[in-house]
Amino acid sequence: MIGIVVVSHSPALAEAAVALALQMAGASPPPVVVAAGAGDGVIGTDAARVAAAIDEIATEEGVLVFMDLGSAVLSAEMALEFAETPHEVRLSAAPFVEGIVAAVVLAGAGAGLDEVDREASGAMAAKAAQLGDAGGTPVPIDERRADAGAAVAEAVIVNDVGLHARPASLIVARMGDFDAEVTVSDADDPRRTASARSMLALMGLALAKGTRLRFSASGADAAAAVEALRALTAEGYGELG
Amino acid sequence: MANLDQLVDWLRRFRTLVVQNQQVLTELDSAIGDADHGSNMARGMNAVAEKLDGHGDTQIDALFKSVGMTLVSSVGGASGPLYGTFFLRFGASAGAVAELDAGELSAALRAGLGGVVARGKAEAGDKTMLDAMIPALDAFDAALAAGRDLAAASAEAVTAAAAGRDATAPLVARKGRASYLGDRSAGHIDPGAASTALLVEALAAALSRPEASESASSESASSDSGPAA
Repeated sequence: MIGIVVVSHSPALAEAAVALALQMAGASPPPVVVAAGAGDGVIGTDAARVAAAIDEIATEEGVLVFMDLGSAVLSAEMALEFAETPHEVRLSAAPFVEGIVAAVVLAGAGAGLDEVDREASGAMAAKAAQLGDAGGTPVPIDERRADAGAAVAEAVIVNDVGLHARPASLIVARMGDFDAEVTVSDADDPRRTASARSMLALMGLALAKGTRLRFSASGADAAAAVEALRALTAEGYGELG
Repeated sequence: MANLDQLVDWLRRFRTLVVQNQQVLTELDSAIGDADHGSNMARGMNAVAEKLDGHGDTQIDALFKSVGMTLVSSVGGASGPLYGTFFLRFGASAGAVAELDAGELSAALRAGLGGVVARGKAEAGDKTMLDAMIPALDAFDAALAAGRDLAAASAEAVTAAAAGRDATAPLVARKGRASYLGDRSAGHIDPGAASTALLVEALAAALSRPEASESASSESASSDSGPAA
């Protein structure tokens, strides 16, 4: 059976993802080793730990490595240089959770490295297909406005660097307080729309200082949700002064 | 020549500069990244400094292998593999020797640069540490070729690194977390280029004070090395 190495910035994240996968795997799951965190509770990745995990688990059937993001990929690439195993080790481009689940299940069923790698890499496509064309496509503004209980509010971005990573994460976090479906648009170019729950989609809009944002919501807390985002934006996402 | 003591002094001075500029590096990173470059580099270089205390290495390759692996295992962010690779390749190029002549030092620095390029898959103009490192090494080599000594050549490198660092401000990031911001990454100095300018500044300070190398401590290093960024 192939071995699976899980590389993450966070030990808790890696262990939870592995637990989820093992729950779905059959009676004979593949060996899985976690290499997560940078020691002493530091969130980060450590290439030496990844190399040790690879060497611990490697057999002639090969090893497939899953990484979360950013430096996890650099550390895993570096680990390939440190690892001493003569057996094949591959880095998977699959999304973290979906890839690990798909790989653990299929490897437990006895599939080889090629097949498991391919299955895991297809995990993203499976999710997109499940969502149909709606996956990643903004909901048209008019439909949202037609919703019962819909609310709209606007605010201009006033902080210098615009809606970058931290403001986007603030918006997503704030949305957790409300029962509402909210989108964020450029009021002057409504094709530029993203869900207020998607940090990456919000960042992808590249909304700069001076942009007028429109928040559109439906759901029980629609009015409160758009007011919260209007205030957050008008206050510069806590980055003024 | 650059001997082992001077190279240790380089690392200690780099640590001191990183700690002194920790807040600056983090502020730069908070603008276009995830606000951890200062703390990550300080943690990594503090771990290196602990390794340097009482290190028994008598050869440059062994010392820098230890330094590189320490960074890889303690930084946590992308700068761990990047700076770790720089020092590992530096040491491998230097080899099992106790001192380097100017050409060997240049070759070792170039090997480190090559490692960073390979690891980060970046190139000049991507708004990364390379935008400080490449002009620094070019200036260093040009000065050596013109017959200057190590102290003078490394001083040229400091000027070039600082200019390269400052020139990252208008660039749009194409690598790393900052690239998620697209055009909005323009207007900010790259934190990796800023820490690399400190690395070059530390090297120049170490190479220009051979007499201080034996007893150099972090305290003496901090007294004459102001913030650069």
